[in-house]
Amino acid sequence: MAAWQIAMIIMIGYLVIALVIGVLAGRNQDKSSLDEFAVAGGKLGLFVMWFLMGGAVFSAFSFLGAPGWAYSKGAPALYILTYTAFAILPWYIIGPKIGKIGRKYSIYTVSGFLKKRYNSRVLPILIGLIAVLASIQYLATQMKGMAYIFNIMTEGRIPFWLGALVSYGIVVVYVATGGLRAAAWSDVFQGLLMIIISWVVGLAIVNQLHNSVSGMFTDLVAAKPGFLEIGNQGSAMSPTAYTTTILVSVIGFLMWPHLFSKSYASNARTIKKTVLVYPVFALFLIPLLFVGFAAANVVDASLIGSPDEILPYLITAVLSLPGWVYGLVGAGALAAAMSSADAITHSASLEFTDGVIKNMKTNLTNKTTLLLMRIGVFVIGGLAYFITVFGGQGLIALLLGAYGSIVQFAPGVYGALYSRRITGPAVIIGLVVGTFVNYYFQLVAASTPFDIHAGILGLISNIVLVVVISSFTQPKSMQMADEYRKIG
Amino acid sequence: MSKKKFTTIYCLSLVIPLLLLIFPLFSLGNRSTPFIVGLPFSVFWVIAWIIVTFLIVLVMYSLDPDKDEEEVQ
Repeated sequence: MAAWQIAMIIMIGYLVIALVIGVLAGRNQDKSSLDEFAVAGGKLGLFVMWFLMGGAVFSAFSFLGAPGWAYSKGAPALYILTYTAFAILPWYIIGPKIGKIGRKYSIYTVSGFLKKRYNSRVLPILIGLIAVLASIQYLATQMKGMAYIFNIMTEGRIPFWLGALVSYGIVVVYVATGGLRAAAWSDVFQGLLMIIISWVVGLAIVNQLHNSVSGMFTDLVAAKPGFLEIGNQGSAMSPTAYTTTILVSVIGFLMWPHLFSKSYASNARTIKKTVLVYPVFALFLIPLLFVGFAAANVVDASLIGSPDEILPYLITAVLSLPGWVYGLVGAGALAAAMSSADAITHSASLEFTDGVIKNMKTNLTNKTTLLLMRIGVFVIGGLAYFITVFGGQGLIALLLGAYGSIVQFAPGVYGALYSRRITGPAVIIGLVVGTFVNYYFQLVAASTPFDIHAGILGLISNIVLVVVISSFTQPKSMQMADEYRKIG
Repeated sequence: MSKKKFTTIYCLSLVIPLLLLIFPLFSLGNRSTPFIVGLPFSVFWVIAWIIVTFLIVLVMYSLDPDKDEEEVQ
């Protein structure tokens, strides 16, 4: 049997298992419960929660982008390890608090959280819209990854549109039927698979190309001095850019609705224990970076279309690996992409229903809300699919702008948690201006002042405005501001 | 230990390793040589501080005054 046939059988086998686990997990749960669909009844255990959070971070980017960064940029790729390890840490403090507030006022989204505290209908609509656009961008990236992997591992026999349709179609089906619980349990399977595959395949590649890890680095430092340093001669990134990229990722991480809302899905103890074991996930990324470093002085950049193709290129073109390795890497990359896609599709649908629809049309019953959320899963999935397959430059710019704007939720969220002085109008204006500044420097301006990340520039203007405007406006409900601050 | 005090200690003790991994303090680790356990110094520096961070969180958890709190629904 040809390598591509074995690879295809393994990947299809993986997809079938993922579908079965997802659908089974949602079985025997109350199908008519909004609470069950949105936050799994608030009762997810440690094991599942850990993989749910980890699966969300281990995305198509980890399998394709991380080796690509290491291959093309060198040391700047270390930012991925740093931010993965640190971004989760504030959750230990804020997660239990958000969870308690959520259970007290029956909240299950970011928009709902800010709406209650700032007593505004404009704010949740803004948050819902930004969240959906950003999620679609995120999903499109995952889907491109899935389709690409299918395509290259079967040596071009599965076309782009079909690979994306099959793998993401499965995600949509299990999320729409089983909600958060289905996403969580399929993430356990997907998480285990990608961790094992990344270590086995990563180290196998390093050993085939350079005999050992230290041999690889010795070769690399000799061939490309400065490649493993930042800002020095031969480096691909300045110190300011490196630092602000880490900061924006660390601050923005928990603002992503699919991560923020997990605070509602579990009790304080589970959240704390999840944070406790989480930095281990950062270490699982190491072999994938090593793959990129291993190729840096071996593969010429002109041979591949973009740096993201380095891992598949190594497997199919450089190394003579058997077909089952194709299949395993394919399955691992699919697992990584799907375990992010499920959580994001789920939360995008929740944010849109709760943030946008519910605030435009205020008299919805829980039953209708739940139905809208299930339909939303298909609508958002469909949109992301069409954008992935057909593209469209203007649209892509809009989505990229939204993607970079998630971090702008931070002042509103931290203001709600720790201050009684911060007011709704201040947060709205800060959010709008911060988003605009980020958008301008990310997509319009050719460069940023001092090489600072566009998101940080947006965040600085955002924070200044929030503080200044709050000082001469009054919170609508002092009682709610006090409640939020005191809980937890 | 009170909850407030715990939160302060938690934040401070974890900001330190983060600061060591971003500039200006990352300059301390920003070099290819010497190699340690087969890794270039910059790579080793990042991985080592992540492991230290993991250990700090473990210690923090054991000190947490309300790690066993039962929530009143």
